[in-house]
Parts: sequence; structure tokens; C-alpha cells
Amino acid sequence: MKAFLKTLFGDAGTVTVVALVMMVEVVLTASGQAGLGVVLIPVAVLAGVAWLAIR
Amino acid sequence: MLDWSVVPAAFLTAAVEWVEAFTIVLAVSLSIGWRAAGGAAVAALAVLALMTIAAGGVLGLGLEVRWLQLAIGVFLLLFGVRWLAKAVARGAGLKALHDEAETFAETQAELSRGDFAAGWLIAFKGVLLEGLEVWLIVAAFGLHGRAWISSGAGALAALVVVLAAGLVVRAPLTRVPENAIKFVVGVMITAFGTYWTYESAAGERAWPLGDLSLLALAAFFALGGLGLMALIRRPRPAGAAT
Repeated sequence: MKAFLKTLFGDAGTVTVVALVMMVEVVLTASGQAGLGVVLIPVAVLAGVAWLAIR
Repeated sequence: MLDWSVVPAAFLTAAVEWVEAFTIVLAVSLSIGWRAAGGAAVAALAVLALMTIAAGGVLGLGLEVRWLQLAIGVFLLLFGVRWLAKAVARGAGLKALHDEAETFAETQAELSRGDFAAGWLIAFKGVLLEGLEVWLIVAAFGLHGRAWISSGAGALAALVVVLAAGLVVRAPLTRVPENAIKFVVGVMITAFGTYWTYESAAGERAWPLGDLSLLALAAFFALGGLGLMALIRRPRPAGAAT
């Protein structure tokens, strides 16, 4: 079961990165700044990838 | 009519996973025989087929596309950032390159007690877990433009190619440039995941360029990933796997 869940969701770091990216998406949308997401969201995702790669 | 923007992506993604599954089945087959190991693999593929039918039923319930995009986008991001980070870390020398020969040896060591049930379960679980990743990504690519047939055809073609190559070689497929494929696929699924999760949150305001934004995202993650690799690169120890 543990292996199954890990295959689906990855480790805690991966889940944290995706949760933070989604939080940024929701905040931008709710604050009426959705246009900024075109730049901010990809940068946030790449920053998450960088953190996962070096940790 | 096949959608050729989806077939290669599904093929590459599935090929990486099928190679890993094949390595495990091959190692198990040396312990409990081809017939039993193959049976375990077929049983796992049958479970995946049942999951596909069940998922098709859920999709047929007429859920709003936005929710489907959100659910599948989240899974794509979960896979995409993981794969991309691994490929960057391996490319930069922070992590050992994935070595099918090593996986093969580890699986064989696990089976050294000659326990039939344990061998069968290892083959079953290996194919099920690797196949699960294929299944999710096939579903995700299929969702884009409802290209189910193209997406499934790419994954099935990869299965046939890996099986054929494996049966000819009868050894772990160590010459597959797995890290390069994982980098490309990581870029693609991260781009899709980013696109869909934000579109499900912000609607049409999310990506003013529409589908063209997908290409821009893929280019951004590819260049960004290569830049990261160069930035954090460490010399690879002599004798490391290639």
C-alpha cells in the first residue's frame, strides 16, 4: 500500500511543491491577478524542481 | 485518426516504465520461471485494464471537464516535477544514473531464497506500479483533445517494442537512454500539468495564447531544466553508470 501511494503521489517534498504551486494559483486567481500567473506559475514550478533536485 | 502530438509523448513515457517493469519480470523469471513471472505480469496488466474500464465509466458520467483537468493536472504535476527533478539531479551528477543492471541484480538478490510466492508478488507489484504510472499518463494525454486512442496506441506500441527488444536480448535493457527520455517526458508532463491546473483555477484568463502556451511552457521547462543542470553540476565519479 505504501509503495502504491508513493507511486501515485511521490514523497512529502513532491507533494509540498505541488501544494505550494496550487496555492499560488488560487491566490492569484482569487486576488484578480490571474494575468500574472503566466509568468509566476512556471517560475514557481521550476523553483520547486530545483529544490527537489538539490535537496 | 491518430493525434501525432500525443502518440510520441505517450510512447516515450510508457517505454521508460515498461523497461523498468520488464527488468523486474526478467529477474523474477530466472527464479520462478518465465511462465509464472509472465503470469504475474499478465495478472497486473489485467488489473490495469479493469482500472481503465472503471475510469472510462467514471468519465462517462459526464463530469465537468474543469474538474477532470484539475484532478489529472495535479497528478501530472506530481509526476512531472518528480521526473524532471530526478533527471536534473542525475544529469548534474548529484544522483547516480538509473542502472537497469543494478535493478536486475537487486531483484535477483531479493529472490535468492527461492520463494515462489514472493517472486510472483514482486513481478506482479513491479508491473502494476510501473503500469500505474503509464495508465495515469495515458489518461492525462488522452484527456487533451479526447485523444484516448492515440494515447493508448502510443503506450501499447511501447509495450510491444520493449517486449520484442527484451525477448531478443534476454537481458536487462541497459542501453536505453533512460535519463534523457525521463528529462523530455518530465518537461512535457510538467508543461501539461502546469497548464491544466492553472486553467482549472483561472479559466480562460489563465493562458491567453491557448494551446500555444503549452509549447512555450515546454520550452521554458526544457531550457530551465538544462540551465539548472549546468548550474548545479558536479563532476561524476569515475566508473559511474552512463
